[in-house]
Amino acid sequence: MKRNWIRKVMGGLSLTSAMFIFQACYGTPQDFGYDILVEGKVTAKTTGLAIPGIKVVVGDNIQFTLTNEEGYFSFYTISDTQIPIRFQDIDRELNGSFGDKEIIVSAVEDRVYLNVDLQEE
Amino acid sequence: MINLIKKKVFQQIKKAEIKQHELNYLFWECTTRCNLNCLHCGSDCSKNSAFNDMPLNDFLKALDTIKNPSSNFTVVLTGGEPLLRKDIEQCGRAIRQRGMKWSMVSNGHFYTAEKHNTLLNAGMGALTISLDGLEKSHNWLRNNDASFSKVEKAIALAASSKRLNFDVVTCVNKINLSELQSVYDFLLERGVKAWRLFTIIPIGRASENPNLLLADNEFKQLMDFIALKRKGEKMEINFSCEGYVGDYELKVRDSYFFCRAGINIGSILIDGSIMACPNIDRSFSQGNIYQDNFFEIWQTKYHAFRDRSWTKKGECASCADYKDCQGNGFHNWHGTLENVLVCHNKKIQHANNG
Repeated sequence: MKRNWIRKVMGGLSLTSAMFIFQACYGTPQDFGYDILVEGKVTAKTTGLAIPGIKVVVGDNIQFTLTNEEGYFSFYTISDTQIPIRFQDIDRELNGSFGDKEIIVSAVEDRVYLNVDLQEE
Repeated sequence: MINLIKKKVFQQIKKAEIKQHELNYLFWECTTRCNLNCLHCGSDCSKNSAFNDMPLNDFLKALDTIKNPSSNFTVVLTGGEPLLRKDIEQCGRAIRQRGMKWSMVSNGHFYTAEKHNTLLNAGMGALTISLDGLEKSHNWLRNNDASFSKVEKAIALAASSKRLNFDVVTCVNKINLSELQSVYDFLLERGVKAWRLFTIIPIGRASENPNLLLADNEFKQLMDFIALKRKGEKMEINFSCEGYVGDYELKVRDSYFFCRAGINIGSILIDGSIMACPNIDRSFSQGNIYQDNFFEIWQTKYHAFRDRSWTKKGECASCADYKDCQGNGFHNWHGTLENVLVCHNKKIQHANNG
């Protein structure tokens, strides 16, 4: 902590705060972004059984994952005050039929665990 | 006057950074397999690498030796081509579970929409993709007729992500030098926000191909191009930290030259060697994770990186700019170590003198 404080002061004095943002010649930029780990379990509302194959979609529809055999899902996504996450049954009959659901997550911490139940159709 | 003050303060900061040598950036050469056979490859990677990929658990054991990693500590997956590893997402997640960030350098060939999604899910936060010119010149350097079209798609995907700190790198050579404006326009159209340019040093396959190496006047042309483009605000453009460029310092990058290899940058190579940047002569290996405690080595060794006075020889011995340059980028010392391989500043001076 102390070392970072010294770095910030020195960077300010030198008017070159960019000097602490470096990358190796052949490396990547450093990652100063903030993200959140979203994980959880999807179950059927009436039976409580885990549902595999549910598509878990983040906001813009580009990023998604599927629940595994235990109904579990996990992904990192960009941190925001409101993160819409949709749960969609895309395999229909295969694992039973369920209605879609949307949850808004607030990134108060860097990790959130969701227990999501879907209504059988 | 302000620049003089900035330079003096910078020199003090640099001294403090060297003394402190906080590990911020760790390359992991997780594979030396590669799907391409690039003309300029410094690591001589191939489809049939002599090494097996390093098992994830071997790397994690070394990673776990790091005590109190810095808040911005990043593991950079490099190769070879990291996307040839089938467990790349598992590798990334294991790093994130330790509270560390990770990023990747890729040739973009296998960076599909599906892969983009799974890598973001696994917590990748930064990415660099190589584009070495327009279609013909890129495919020439990459030695693959399909490379450009694949990279074009990869760049569009990566640039669309709000999460990724993404940049494109270009190896500038005799063939693509005249295309840089077109490449700039190409990247701008695709929403790329950061572009880093570097030159090729005569090691690996590059040492045998004169088309890859810029003449003095061509190098100055590159400096002028970067300096000019940095005056605009459309895209962040930088010359890489590969070397000291005299009067062009601060005109072609955001900060004064500072080769941080072994000071803030370490690496674990495919055979377990503990190094600084992977493109440095491997005789500078500081140990091996299969015999040594990685973090102990980081804390107690790396003398050649943290005291570079040994580089004051050959053409560096009598150089007036030695204090600012200190032997240029460390990867410019290869083989007998009697002389620096490339002096960027001298190339500029020669060009200025006609």
